[in-house]
Amino acid sequence: MMSELADWLSNAPVRDFSASLLSSIPGLPPVLQTIHLLSIVAIMASIVMIDLRVLGLAVPSQDIGEMITRLSPWTLWGIVGAASSGVWFILARPNRYFSNPVFQIKFALLALAIILTFAFYRWGRNQASIWDESSSRFSLAKAYAFVSLSLWLGVVMAGRWIAYSEYLFWPG
Amino acid sequence: MLNEFFLSLEYLPLAQHIGATWWFPLIESLHVVSITLMLGAILMVDLRVLGLAATRYSVSTLSRELVPWSAVALGVASVTGIAMFITRASAHAVNPAFQIKMLLMVLAGINVAVFHLIIFRHNVDWDPRINTSVAARLVAASSIALWIGVMLAGRWVGHIV
Repeated sequence: MMSELADWLSNAPVRDFSASLLSSIPGLPPVLQTIHLLSIVAIMASIVMIDLRVLGLAVPSQDIGEMITRLSPWTLWGIVGAASSGVWFILARPNRYFSNPVFQIKFALLALAIILTFAFYRWGRNQASIWDESSSRFSLAKAYAFVSLSLWLGVVMAGRWIAYSEYLFWPG
Repeated sequence: MLNEFFLSLEYLPLAQHIGATWWFPLIESLHVVSITLMLGAILMVDLRVLGLAATRYSVSTLSRELVPWSAVALGVASVTGIAMFITRASAHAVNPAFQIKMLLMVLAGINVAVFHLIIFRHNVDWDPRINTSVAARLVAASSIALWIGVMLAGRWVGHIV
C-alpha cells in the first residue's frame, strides 16, 4: 500500500511542484528544515516538558493542570508547523521516503505519540484530581508520561536517522 | 598551521570511527534532541521575560527551574557537536555557515552573560505581576533571534559541505 501511495504521489503534479520549489528557491531547504526544528522546539517546550514535570524531573513549582491548559496550543502549533515544513520533502521525493523503513517507523511512532498526547491532555483537563501526586491515578499518569516522552524523543531521533537508514536496514 | 591542526583532528581514531559508523547518525540525532530541548527551555524563560507567556510565574522561578535544563542540554549539544566537527574539521572550519554559526553562538553567550550577570542580578525579586525592564526584554528578544540564527546557520552547514 505504501509503494502504491508513493507511486501515485510520484506521478501527481504536486511532486513536480514541490521538487522545483525546493531546487529553484536558493536556501529554501535549510529554511524549511529550521522551521521544522523550531516546531520540534515547541513540542519539547510543551508535551515533553509536561512529561518531565509529571515524572518529577522538571519545573516542580508548575501546576500540571495549568501547564496542560497553557501549553497544549504549543503542541498543536508545533505539529502543524512540523507537518507544513516537512511535507514538501516527502512530496518532492515520495519513493525515497515511503520505501524507507526508518521513515515508516517515524510515522508509526508519531501517530501513537499524537493520539496519546491529546488523549492525555483531554484526560488531564477533565479530571483535575489526577494531579494529586499521592493518588493511585498519578502512577498511571507517570506511566503515560514515560511512554509519551519515549515516543516523542523516538520520533525526533528517527527523523534524523531517515537519511542514514542503510546503517540499520541494509537494502537487500 | 591551523589547517594542519584540523586535519590532525580528522585523523584521530575516534574521529575516523565516528565518521565511518552508525555513531555519526546516533550523535547527530542526540544533537537534534539536545538543541531543541535547550531552545525550548530558553524560549520559555525568554517569552516570560517578554511578558508573552507563563506570566503567572515569576522570572526567577522559571529561570531557576529551566536554566539547569538548558545548561545540561547545551553540554550534550556541545559534546555531540564537537564529535561531529572532528570528523570533517578542516572543511567545517572554512564553511561560511559554520563560521556564522560560531559567531552567533559567541554573541548568544555574551547575551546570556549580560542577562544573568548584570540585568537579572539586580532584579531578583521580579514579581509575576510586575513588567520586566526594557533592557531585560531587549536581551530576551536578542536571545530568541540569536538562537534561531544559530539553528538556521547550523542546518545550513550541511547544505554547503
